[in-house]
Amino acid sequence: MQTGNHLSRKGLTVWRIYGLIQSLILVLIAGGISAFDFFFFGLGWLYIVTISLLVILIVLIIGVLPSLRWKRWRYEVREHEIELQHGLFIVKRTLIPMVRVQHVDTEQGPILRSYNLASIHISTAATSHTIPFLDEIEAESMRRRISELARVAEDDV
Amino acid sequence: MSETRYKLHPVAAVITFVKGLKDLIFPLVIFLILGNTGGEDGGLFRFIPYVLGGLALLLYLISGIIKWWKYEYWFEDGELRIEYGLIVKKKRYIPFERIQSLDYTESIFHRPFKLVKVKVETAGGGVSGEAEAELTAITLAAADQIKQEMIAAKKKRVKVVDEVEGDSLEEGVDAIQPIELESETESQTSTTRLLHKMKSKDLLLLAATSGGIGIIFSGAAVVLSQFSEFIPYEEIYNEALELFRFGAMFVALLVFAVVLISFLVSVVLTYLQNYGYTVTLDDKELIIQRGLLEKKRTTIPMHRIQGIQLVENPFRQLFGYATIVLDSAGGSVLEKSETVKLVPLMKRTEAVTLLTDLFPEWDWDPEFTRAPKRTRKFYYRINLLLIAIIGAVLGYFFYPYGLLFFLLIPVSVAFDIWNHKASGIAIRDTYLAMQYRFFSRKTVWLAKKRIQAVTLSQSYFEKRADAASIHATIKSGALGSQHSLKAMERDDMQRVMNWYLPNT
Repeated sequence: MQTGNHLSRKGLTVWRIYGLIQSLILVLIAGGISAFDFFFFGLGWLYIVTISLLVILIVLIIGVLPSLRWKRWRYEVREHEIELQHGLFIVKRTLIPMVRVQHVDTEQGPILRSYNLASIHISTAATSHTIPFLDEIEAESMRRRISELARVAEDDV
Repeated sequence: MSETRYKLHPVAAVITFVKGLKDLIFPLVIFLILGNTGGEDGGLFRFIPYVLGGLALLLYLISGIIKWWKYEYWFEDGELRIEYGLIVKKKRYIPFERIQSLDYTESIFHRPFKLVKVKVETAGGGVSGEAEAELTAITLAAADQIKQEMIAAKKKRVKVVDEVEGDSLEEGVDAIQPIELESETESQTSTTRLLHKMKSKDLLLLAATSGGIGIIFSGAAVVLSQFSEFIPYEEIYNEALELFRFGAMFVALLVFAVVLISFLVSVVLTYLQNYGYTVTLDDKELIIQRGLLEKKRTTIPMHRIQGIQLVENPFRQLFGYATIVLDSAGGSVLEKSETVKLVPLMKRTEAVTLLTDLFPEWDWDPEFTRAPKRTRKFYYRINLLLIAIIGAVLGYFFYPYGLLFFLLIPVSVAFDIWNHKASGIAIRDTYLAMQYRFFSRKTVWLAKKRIQAVTLSQSYFEKRADAASIHATIKSGALGSQHSLKAMERDDMQRVMNWYLPNT
């Protein structure tokens, strides 16, 4: 699927913020390892390995991965089905027929709210799918649209 | 409206007590062991664990009696109403039209008194998980009464709906259901049809090949470890030394005897559980009856079936045997996925006949499009990598014996190529058949309108090889169950996606 819609551009920033939070945890872990090394082993190479790994991971989760992810993410809501595509190493393309949609939720945490974003959760009887970053207003209208389309599409489960 | 309220049979109290005992036995034993490790000169304190244990038993007995005493059920306004609880009173009202099936179990406690345990299954709308009920022990007559009340209530409902037909959306939905039900009650006697009765040869084979052995083994180990307090270890150690003097042969024999006995126990248990296994079709419901000591009766409404699986474990496949498994929707929230064995063991050819009988329009022995030869590497590569890493570590630390781990390579590759060979798909108009193997070969049939979502995935390597994987999810129990095929031809998988696109 090359045609679908992209996520909101601001989603990229949010992913970077998530990356920043994860980086802080990584820094703590690296700090722990270094402290352990300092008190018990005193191995010089372990510092170098730890710190270089830390730097590589931070560059990945803040710099590289979010933009790759953003480029990959596509969604499209059509009359009879919803199509999603995402994934970095494994690209997943999912089809959800409107008749199978049971309910649609929007969700907005504090970070998303400050960027006027919202995420949409689409549930069928057996699966659940998320579109992570949509413009607040767009998310709201899409939720309405999906629930209307889902109601029109009649079929027994 | 004051309706007659019914109570469970007093035996229910005993059953609840015994059930409680089962939960209690491990903590109790652990408690006793812990209490006793303190030494021998504990004085009166030594008895504290026993006193507490006795108190716990008494408590369970009393709670069993209270549960029975406070449990009431009655019929009112087309609902099965249940009320229970001493301190916290609970009421559960189940509208009859939402009852999907009544399942009966007769354990050894029930049978001398002609009693039955009734499980009320509802149509899985159970967001709260509250919409299920279990009547621990009632007489057969009372169970029949519930069924009659249910049928009567459903009939009445049809009439009401007929009068106000198309009044509102809600009733419109209801109207579809009871009509179906009415035809069910009218033609009940005429359409009951025996589908399958398990032959004693099959039953014996099932008992002999079922994997219950491991469970019994671990069970025995657990029980042994739990009762370690009562086993005089020192004496055993001494005796074991004696045994070694007799030679290892004797020990081996002893182990073999234990294995043999647990195997025989497992055979007998499976035989008893599945004795008299019959499957009947009662209009729109499949009814499974089985058991010698504990009789069980399970009902599966046909319209709740989401997927059908034919499972062949390699050993049984060798002799052409298979198991039919049904995925059914609904059920309680607690049960993660609800699969029911329709027939635990039968010849594959017979299974095909049976399924053709049930669903004549479907092809039960389709020609599969297999995974292409070039994607073999996707099946064995990951495991090879894993073996290489583990083998390297083991080889380094336990040189040279650790290197023996690499002997697994041919086994693993053969196993994975075997799995690759089993991967196949067949697309038909209204359904999809998939075949794959992880040890046991599974063939699944999924109706297009029962599939909740389909995902096509492509890893970086798959993309380079022009291959793709497919994942189809159906509802099973309260949650979903996913069936996947790895590294198939990309174009074939794209065809599945196109097939699944709603074409209206």
